[in-house]
Amino acid sequence: MARKFSVEILMLLAAVLCILPVALIFLTAFKPDVEIIHFHGLLPKLWTTENFHQIFTQSEDIPIFRWLGNSLLISTSVTLLVLVVDSLAAYALARLELPGRKWIFSLILATMMVPGQILLVPVYLILSKLHWLDTPLALIVPAGAGAFGVFLLHQFFKGIPRELEEAAELDGCSPLGIYWHIMLPLSRPALATLAIFAFVASWNDFLNPMVFLDSIDRYTLPVGVALFQSSYAAEYGLTLAACVICTLPIILVFLAFHKHIIKGIAAGGLKE
Amino acid sequence: MSRQSSRTLAGYLLLSPYLLLFLLFLIFPLVFGLWLSFMKYELISPHPPRWIGVANYTEAFHDKYFWKALWVTTIFVVISVPITIVLSLAIASGLERLGARRQNLYRLAIFLPSMLTITVVGILWRWFYEAEFGLINSLLAEIHIGKIPWLLTPNWAMASIIIMTIWWTIGAPVIILQAGLKQIPEAFYEAASLDGAVGFRRFFSITLPLLRPVLLFVSVTTIIGAFQIFGQPFLVTSGGPERSTLVMMQYIYGVAFNDYRLGYGAAMSWLLFLVIGLVTIFQFLIFKEN
Repeated sequence: MARKFSVEILMLLAAVLCILPVALIFLTAFKPDVEIIHFHGLLPKLWTTENFHQIFTQSEDIPIFRWLGNSLLISTSVTLLVLVVDSLAAYALARLELPGRKWIFSLILATMMVPGQILLVPVYLILSKLHWLDTPLALIVPAGAGAFGVFLLHQFFKGIPRELEEAAELDGCSPLGIYWHIMLPLSRPALATLAIFAFVASWNDFLNPMVFLDSIDRYTLPVGVALFQSSYAAEYGLTLAACVICTLPIILVFLAFHKHIIKGIAAGGLKE
Repeated sequence: MSRQSSRTLAGYLLLSPYLLLFLLFLIFPLVFGLWLSFMKYELISPHPPRWIGVANYTEAFHDKYFWKALWVTTIFVVISVPITIVLSLAIASGLERLGARRQNLYRLAIFLPSMLTITVVGILWRWFYEAEFGLINSLLAEIHIGKIPWLLTPNWAMASIIIMTIWWTIGAPVIILQAGLKQIPEAFYEAASLDGAVGFRRFFSITLPLLRPVLLFVSVTTIIGAFQIFGQPFLVTSGGPERSTLVMMQYIYGVAFNDYRLGYGAAMSWLLFLVIGLVTIFQFLIFKEN
């Protein structure tokens, strides 16, 4: 009994330790600076939107809405690109008779073990030759090469009963028609999981945009806010308000789709 | 055209958009990076790139900062990964004993930090660690404990990076290990309790062996991620003090994109790749043997 109780307490402690710092971002952003330097409790004594106001009125130095727009454009495009190319490829690999299919799929799977760092320098040079550096394309197009989505959808497509397709084929449906009318509608959960993962990974990416983008106007939120904190390091209220703007969309995605996210991560580990 | 060959043609057509991206931005850069590592390729140099054989690699072997960065990265991996795995296994087992509702709620709370971008995590923890009016030292002062020089001495700086990394990344291992625990059939535990195996004996004789494939996956992916640590030191300590947290990726980044020595940067990327590859193979061998 006592043991059961201590497990309860420890788990609660773990959960609180994880969530409290995140809550602090949001609560502290509404505190005046005095209350941040002299910490008196979680909640602000005096709620203020001054920190946000200051960011919004300094759009010359801190073009945070530009960064928000850039992040939205890039992450949405990556999500669409990944959904389209990965689902087409996964369908072809799972269902159509391609000579060398096994070989191609193994090669794609093997690259899931390749640490991303090895690609940084060569991809930078390729993007420079394409004249894509400092444009959104530098962050959108290479993101379509990842193997995770092909793997995820391939596993899902393989679980769909063949009878449905055979019936459609007898009715004269083409492979593309089967993909569109049968495979995609039946795969909504897997597509949703992939979309969320692609969006969040792109939104949170830090190293690639920092290396591939140059102009402050073209930064994504994580790179912009990092630059901003280096010049306003001591003004925690201001930097934390910027963090709120950077984090809010992701928290909303998380609250709306947490089931998909947890399932997707668990599936990754169990498919070994 | 026969039905068979038209399906083959359709297959290649549907595969081709992805395959093109895969070849151009994954396979080609791998090979291209290897080739670059044998070149003197300097963006701001007036000389065109030229082949210099293994000179970049011999430079790395004589570069004391390369060894320092590799050492710092290894220390980080060796300390942070075992803590992450043991702690996430403990949390996953603990969660399994709770009711379904709290299990889900706590798991969401524990995963929430992993949803944040490193910029936000860095800003947050810089504030926590700040020596004078940082949150942790302020709270310690309240209970009359002296200030901790979090980011100011080499050892504390490394500890700071490790603590924030564990907080940031523990969510995924917890979810994966808990899913693994759920897959172990109840019958095994029933049989074991008939044999009198309870508590830790039950854990070591049943849970751990049956969890081995999932543990292997978690340990491989955690280690691959840990070797590539970048944002935490870059944003929180800038690699200091005295290069005590200057990891491989930050050194490669500096060489390639501040000094524009792409050839040397590519060579060090390949050396890091080699280290990660060997450690990964080693793990597969260990997990197989037992």
